[in-house]
Amino acid sequence: MEIPRVGPNGSGMSVTIADNRDVTTSSDSPATLAIDVDDVRFAYGDTLAVDDVSFTVAPGQILGFLGPNGAGKSTTIKMLTGQLRPDTGKISILGMDMPGQREQIQGRLGVCFEEKNLYLSMTGSENLVFFAKLFGIQGFKPEPLMERVGLSTRLDDRVSEYSKGMRQRLMVARALLNTPDVLLLDEPTAALDPVSAIGVRDIIREEAARGAAVLLTTHDMHEADDLSDHVAFINQGKILTIDTPENLKLTHGTRSVRIRARHGADIEEEVIPLDEEGAEDRIRDAVSTEGLLTIHTEEATLEDIFVEYAGRGLT
Amino acid sequence: MSGARIVAIMGKDLREFARNRFFVFITLLVLVAYVAIFWFLPDSVDETVHIGVSGTVLNTDVGGVTDGGTAGFALEVYPSEEELRAAVEEGRGDIVAGIAFPPDFLASVAAGEKPTVRLLIPAGLPAEVRLLLQGAVDEVAFSIAGSPPPVDPITEAIVLGTDRAGAQVSMQQQMRPLLLIMVLMVEVFALSSLVAIEVQERTAVAVLATPVRIVDFLAAKGIFGIILAFVEAALLGILIGAFAVNAPAVIVILLLGALIVTGFAMISGSYGKDFMGTLMISMLFMIPLMIPAFAALFPGSTPGWVKIIPTYGLVDAMIRITVDGAGWSDIAPALLMLAGWGLVAFGAGALVLRRRVATL
Repeated sequence: MEIPRVGPNGSGMSVTIADNRDVTTSSDSPATLAIDVDDVRFAYGDTLAVDDVSFTVAPGQILGFLGPNGAGKSTTIKMLTGQLRPDTGKISILGMDMPGQREQIQGRLGVCFEEKNLYLSMTGSENLVFFAKLFGIQGFKPEPLMERVGLSTRLDDRVSEYSKGMRQRLMVARALLNTPDVLLLDEPTAALDPVSAIGVRDIIREEAARGAAVLLTTHDMHEADDLSDHVAFINQGKILTIDTPENLKLTHGTRSVRIRARHGADIEEEVIPLDEEGAEDRIRDAVSTEGLLTIHTEEATLEDIFVEYAGRGLT
Repeated sequence: MSGARIVAIMGKDLREFARNRFFVFITLLVLVAYVAIFWFLPDSVDETVHIGVSGTVLNTDVGGVTDGGTAGFALEVYPSEEELRAAVEEGRGDIVAGIAFPPDFLASVAAGEKPTVRLLIPAGLPAEVRLLLQGAVDEVAFSIAGSPPPVDPITEAIVLGTDRAGAQVSMQQQMRPLLLIMVLMVEVFALSSLVAIEVQERTAVAVLATPVRIVDFLAAKGIFGIILAFVEAALLGILIGAFAVNAPAVIVILLLGALIVTGFAMISGSYGKDFMGTLMISMLFMIPLMIPAFAALFPGSTPGWVKIIPTYGLVDAMIRITVDGAGWSDIAPALLMLAGWGLVAFGAGALVLRRRVATL
């Protein structure tokens, strides 16, 4: 099967699909890419976790990495952080080889792990100061970062006293303390209340606007749709497709409008395919109807499209 | 390796240790309790065997055996057999046994009869001492009867090794290595818990996602563990007088001991799933490592296999220094063995922790 892919750099990329043939449409040189993963494979013993995965992320771009548990997302992130060494393939971050130049890369990497791996007996600010020392940052002040994630009033409280959401926000703050060029965010809004989640999404947008390349793994299709310039569907260790959310929805959704209107005591519903002749007139008539209740476009959600590709849902 | 990063991790570990009330409490408790135990123990050994005696025979000379202990025996006189029996049963006056002569002992002996002398022996008295006491009764009987023993050979005592007659190793001296090893063992648990938390909470993953290299991480854990164990052992050593003789050698011994326990702590910390798991795995190492120290409490009974236990060199060298005043050359074999085990244990610990962290 051959599926043309559009890469997250905006123009194209190379993706190895299920039958292992490459489809290359990239016009970016490797030097301009923040993350360049090429034909990477990794197995835990006999279990293949990541199977010939390739993708790229350019500076300032957000790539949403979507897949169910066990799809290979975390293994891919572990290879990007240098925790795991790929069995085959090549990973280049900021033009440097991972894991060959691990130390140099990690200095410019911000990672928000899925698990809340914070030092519970230390305060929030002590956690940040400790990690700042590991990054070799001199004179680090934790206050601005803590304020940015809404924890300025809990600076000196031990993390053991933080709620799950507060710990998650501290994780995000820790990922930002070295002003990273590449951000790897594994479920960054998990356990957050809606208001805090919006705050973290704003931070992710700000970081991308600053020029950071962001790889975001999430189960939340709405979040991926909202934040990502491109999304990659991953299942059973393979990338199924990469494209912009808009292209995916247009390609796989139904171009139609669903209109609901009250006629006397009844509520009637009408679906108008946009590609049909006379669709424009039918919509105009419906809108001018007195009893109009709602009008919805019928584009597919990313979840629908994922099911179409993977034959299963995200959970 | 980055010194600044190693120091940062060690500083963090110290902060975590200091904020763990359980670790701090145990550390202080152990220190206070062990010092108290040490100073409550007798610092000298009474080599005199106290024996209770009753009967009319005591009005006569008993051939020098009642001389107050200069010959190794001290006879405590009781007016009646009943009182002697009670004294033996209750262990009064350090009496190890009693000899009850019948009231008509002298008359019976003079008449050529065979009087019965009762030996009052506590239940726990070793069989060898019973035989010794039976011999003593014969001696006393011959002495009272005014007859020489049937055979009176000339006995020459040849002491093999250090002659401790009059200068026995006190309980304090015997306990000193045990207490030092036990305090090191406590730190095995404390350090392994710190390592276990790092593994279980997966904070090690976050640390290793920064420019910190695995060698920095292992070095920080190792150095912190050695310092932690050494400082507490040294503190205890100061308080129990372990540095009175050849202090530099004692410092080296404690450092090597700390190296060994740090290695084992890294192993147990790598695989402890929770508090109890870490405790159980730590105990697997702690108990065997304490065996040489217990063996020191019972000199002469040390089986050969105890000598291959990593901490044997520590106990051996400590006893040689503190009891015999040994110099560097005397303890060199023990130090070499200790150093060898230190490298093996620390190397194994670092390897295991490295593998564990790599698979997180």
